[in-house]
Amino acid sequence: MDTNDRSLTFGFLTTVDSPTHGVFGGYLVVDTTGRPLEFHCTTPVKVSRAQQILYGATLPGHLHGRQIGANLLAEATSRPVAVLIDAETLLHVRPHTPLPVGLVHRSEPAPSTPRDDEALVRFGTTVISLPADRHADVIDGLTALAGAVDLSEPFERIRAAIDEAQRH
Amino acid sequence: MAREIQRATPTGGGSHALRSAELSLPPVSFRPAWQPEGLPSPRVLRLPLAGSTPAVASVSLLDALPKVSSFRFPRASAAPAALAAPPRPAAAPAQPQAAAEPAVRRPDRPARTRIAPPGDVVRMEERLWFLLQPDLESLLRSCHLDFPRRPFPFQLEGMAFLMPRHAAVLADEMGLGKSMQAISSIRLLIHAGEARRVLVVCPKGLVSNWVRELGDWAPEIPVAVIEGDPQRRRWQWALSDVAVKVANYESVVRDRELVAELKASFDLVVLDEAQRIKNSASQTSHAIRALSRRRSWALTGTPVENSADDIVGLFEFVAPGHLDERMSPRALGAAAADHVLRRTKDKVLKDLPPRLNRDERIELTPEQRETYRRAEEDGVLRLAEMGRSATIRHVFELVLRLKQVCNFDTHSGESAKLDCLKADLGEVQASGRKALVFSQWVETLGKLEKELAPFGALQYHGGMSTAARDEAIRQFKNDRRHSVLLLSYGAGAVGLNLQFSQYVFLFDRWWNPAVEDQAVNRAHRIGAAGAVTVTRYLAADTIEERIDEVLRKKRDLSELILSQSEPSEAGSTGLTVDELFALFRLPSPSRSAAAA
Repeated sequence: MDTNDRSLTFGFLTTVDSPTHGVFGGYLVVDTTGRPLEFHCTTPVKVSRAQQILYGATLPGHLHGRQIGANLLAEATSRPVAVLIDAETLLHVRPHTPLPVGLVHRSEPAPSTPRDDEALVRFGTTVISLPADRHADVIDGLTALAGAVDLSEPFERIRAAIDEAQRH
Repeated sequence: MAREIQRATPTGGGSHALRSAELSLPPVSFRPAWQPEGLPSPRVLRLPLAGSTPAVASVSLLDALPKVSSFRFPRASAAPAALAAPPRPAAAPAQPQAAAEPAVRRPDRPARTRIAPPGDVVRMEERLWFLLQPDLESLLRSCHLDFPRRPFPFQLEGMAFLMPRHAAVLADEMGLGKSMQAISSIRLLIHAGEARRVLVVCPKGLVSNWVRELGDWAPEIPVAVIEGDPQRRRWQWALSDVAVKVANYESVVRDRELVAELKASFDLVVLDEAQRIKNSASQTSHAIRALSRRRSWALTGTPVENSADDIVGLFEFVAPGHLDERMSPRALGAAAADHVLRRTKDKVLKDLPPRLNRDERIELTPEQRETYRRAEEDGVLRLAEMGRSATIRHVFELVLRLKQVCNFDTHSGESAKLDCLKADLGEVQASGRKALVFSQWVETLGKLEKELAPFGALQYHGGMSTAARDEAIRQFKNDRRHSVLLLSYGAGAVGLNLQFSQYVFLFDRWWNPAVEDQAVNRAHRIGAAGAVTVTRYLAADTIEERIDEVLRKKRDLSELILSQSEPSEAGSTGLTVDELFALFRLPSPSRSAAAA
């Protein structure tokens, strides 16, 4: 991978849980310097108590993986090097996309041992779980991006943008 | 219809009544043969043959996908290749490593300065474009831009304020680094491909200062100074491969037609000491406003120097028509709020050494006092004789004459202030420190230079060439034999960085405290090594004390507007016509006219 290639892009996917509106989804695509190229956000999805009971353990997969995650990724025109997420529930998007999806660990301390089929890679202070069979493909690109921005930072931008969209 | 077997209440005597409501058959009483007489009547149960239809509650599934709003942004255009910063090794945090070692607690979250969308940006897509930009620290890192000194957080906030704005007034108090913030913002805009032609306009005496600061804070940006004969200036105005041009106000006025003829246009025009255009009717203001530009930034420590009209004049350049002279100070403040950023040292520089103010009340020498008394009596008498024909100019001349006597006796040459200053400077010199002495008059500076020769006094004023002034600064800064720099308020109050001086003396007072503050802030600014002592000389029982009293009582309108407060009275921070006449207890011409 040519990390000087200015056409490389990276995706950041997250959800925002609003007590009044429901769950919003936001997806930001940036270039190698961290500048925004695309932004997609969903209307909020409000899950009732009955739906929670009916979907049971399958709810996160359906809501975060299919309804929000896959829906947002489908709208993007860029094909990013990887999609980074910051919540485990969003790992459910993996079955819906061919793109490598990496989990940025926000909790402290970050895990020190990977789960099955995962590789843990540290970029400075940020630790990311990547699919073990794909992580070699994306490390160079993510290293280049980490030279420009803290890899946990773009999620803050998405939250600010969703907040702005709500107020608008 | 629901059928019902209704059981009758027992009729007594052990008989039962059974009837059909539907058939309306008459009740028949009988006693079965097997039932012995006298047994208790059986209870009758009523059973519905058909119930009501049960309600059905359906739970909808999460089938419909939520609606997605999409926004796409153009790629940032690359900076000119000539500006490419030398490649640096990737920052340490970018090196990936297997996270197999025991995880350590992350260090504190790094500071992030966000670029917020300006208030006048209303389109959702544009607002999101600002919100989705990386923080300023990341932008600087991704452009590989270094600074000679680490900027203060408030300076990064200043850059985040300037960068997205097409109309901005950076009104930080003197000494907080307005030029550094502007230069760094220009640098980022150029590297982002958002600006290719920038013009900086400043007072003549500050051109070399700007060139030096541009070299420090944006060394890779090509800079040209517009100066020299007309042919040379024509060539410089027409240059297209220079990112930043620096011109003084006089050049812009002089070359107004030339600039129009060349159709010179700029992505950004930055005005330093922008209070120069506060009078929108002036030639300078007209020439500046005629410059073709996309962005307009004004830098000034005193956006409201004398009256609320000043900021209106400033906005005629920054955002024409946005403010109106008829607006109340509160309305002005509210309308200007999103375009103006004002910080004061006490708010943002908690660690700046203190400024110690010391008012020195000086008794004139007997001979000086006598000269002063005669001059005032004669002057007031003359004004009284002139009656209503006395004008502001006559009063002003008398004030200036009296102030000069307060400095030096015009007959004997005596000066109580000079005696005091010599004593003070003796201490300054003995401690190896440096001092700045300000006066309104170049003539006074000349006298002081002779008298203060033992202190190696140097002069700095508008009558000197730029080269001579630069040389005076260089000597004062580097040569220990020169412990005093004598400056005029006009030339020395703005733009100079003299923070290695610990003492400031105001030999005489300026009309406006804001200008005095600017003078003091040459020393009391970022980089000041220790406390700065400011000594203001006031000749006792003279016009100087009366002026000081008037100014002290006046409200600071600048702060009122910038804090969006309503002042209790409108007015200016300088002296009005009424106030000038009142200094001599003379009726003001305006009041006389009103009374008539």
